[in-house]
Amino acid sequence: MKNIEELNYYEILKIPANSSSFEIKRAYQDALSIYNQDSLVTYSLFSNEERDNILKTVKEAYSTLIDINKKAAYDTILLDSGQIEVSMTSIQNQRKPPHAHTCNMTDSDNFDERARKKSRKKKIETLSNQVLSKDLISGDDLKKMRKAAGIELSEINALTKISASVLRSMEENRIESLPPNLYLKNFLRHYAKMLQIDPQKVIDGYLKNISLAQKK
Amino acid sequence: MTQIYPIGGGKGGVGKSFITASLGALLAKSGKKVLLIDLDLGGSNLHTLLGVNDQQGGINRFLDKTVKNLENTAVSTAIQNLFFISSSLCSMEIANLLHAHKLKIITAIQKLSFDYILLDLGTGTNFNTLDFFLTSNQGIFICTPEPTAIENSFRFIKAVYLRKLKHIVKRHSFNSAVKEAIIRPNHEAITSPDIIETVLKHDPDRENFLRSSLSEFKFKFILNQFRKNLDATIGDKIEDLCNRHFYSNFQFLGTVGYDVRIHDSVLSKKVFIHKYPYAPPAIDIKKITEKIINSRPSIPVTGKIS
Ligand SMILES: Nc1ncnc2c1ncn2[C@@H]1O[C@H](COP(=O)(O)OP(=O)(O)OP(=O)(O)O)[C@@H](O)[C@H]1O
Ligand SMILES: [Mg+2]
Repeated sequence: MKNIEELNYYEILKIPANSSSFEIKRAYQDALSIYNQDSLVTYSLFSNEERDNILKTVKEAYSTLIDINKKAAYDTILLDSGQIEVSMTSIQNQRKPPHAHTCNMTDSDNFDERARKKSRKKKIETLSNQVLSKDLISGDDLKKMRKAAGIELSEINALTKISASVLRSMEENRIESLPPNLYLKNFLRHYAKMLQIDPQKVIDGYLKNISLAQKK
Repeated sequence: MTQIYPIGGGKGGVGKSFITASLGALLAKSGKKVLLIDLDLGGSNLHTLLGVNDQQGGINRFLDKTVKNLENTAVSTAIQNLFFISSSLCSMEIANLLHAHKLKIITAIQKLSFDYILLDLGTGTNFNTLDFFLTSNQGIFICTPEPTAIENSFRFIKAVYLRKLKHIVKRHSFNSAVKEAIIRPNHEAITSPDIIETVLKHDPDRENFLRSSLSEFKFKFILNQFRKNLDATIGDKIEDLCNRHFYSNFQFLGTVGYDVRIHDSVLSKKVFIHKYPYAPPAIDIKKITEKIINSRPSIPVTGKIS
């Protein structure tokens, strides 16, 4: 069975990126009717655990997309990776130079948004500088930076196609379940790019850390 | 190019044989040269649905070498262009088909030249049924809109899918760690995400190959014995769901209505769509036939199973 974590939130709810909140709500109801415990369509298809995970992801998708701020942040990630196009999203107005028709967005909204983004960016920068200046980088460091950036594992998975279980192994330093170094390097590079930090530093620090742990 | 469609589905009595006979008749009527093969070894009854009085048998004469070419065991039917190979006279132990015999039948079918070949399969998920279903890169499963039938269909799909995975891994150069992990005997509990994960871990270069090989397989499905009061969207929902959760391709062909006269025509050994060409289920099956004729031909399976 394919992992639903590979899909982005729009794919999970089967809606285009420029859907209205009404459409998002309706898509959410549809998804629930398909994946719920008593649905005929999925009867016996999933284990209880699989079903719970799917429902959790569906709910996550809904709560992210229905919240204007969370949706904008999420769209930015998808945009950067080329999964959606500017013209498809509701945040196009923020990216392009302001057009006449953006005036329906109040100035205070814009200021608020910008201020929030700025302070968050600062926090991420401090943390990643701190981590990248170290010689050894652990899975936990990766996870901390990812959390600070507000990126979910499922998002990295959706964009890089690295399986969720490998990502988890990377973050939990589970050396025995990591892929061979050649691939690991590649995965770390993708991971670092998603967090917008220096890939080479991440690769060197991470590999050094696990080779030290192996020697112990 | 010959299009082979195995027709299966986990549950008994859902209408596999009825649909095989009806689809075959309609394809033949639209001018295609069609062969139906009864591969429900040990439970054959397609001859009855076709009104063929089976005196000499088919598959049995091919297996005991009385007839060298499988094609020569085919008999004509009351419908022009529709041919039929029976298995009703196979010996009582035929359900436990020898592995070599199974391969012989599959290879012979793959060499036949017709427009369409439909294989009527038995119930359940034993290896014979699964391997017959994998004779082609496409297959049709029949389901009814009940929890029990849906449960068996998902079980059937998962079993076919897993068997297909194993064939792929066996046949191609995956590294030994992958082969060992997957083709371990007595280890049926392994599931497809496990396999994909195993491949990713030990042989990441081959992961995309595995995914694309799986996506070559096309499942089509029909909801039979459909009653009017049911939610008409469940077929589309199942199609969507399966495309999302399996790496293979799924297409919903349509519903076929429930009609008591089908039962009566079986009793009187008449081909239903012949007798009642304008009954709702006959119209339903006509639409499905058109869909099949218009769908893109799939690439035939190459390479033998072992
Ligand atoms: N659409 C329908 N409406 C009413 N009755 C039907 C319909 N389809 C099939 N039946 C009835 O269901 C019975 C079983 O059909 P059929 O023999 O085709 O099923 P099968 O899946 O091939 O069963 P088996 O697993 O035993 O091979 C038939 O006798 C027929 O009367
Ligand atoms: Mg049958």
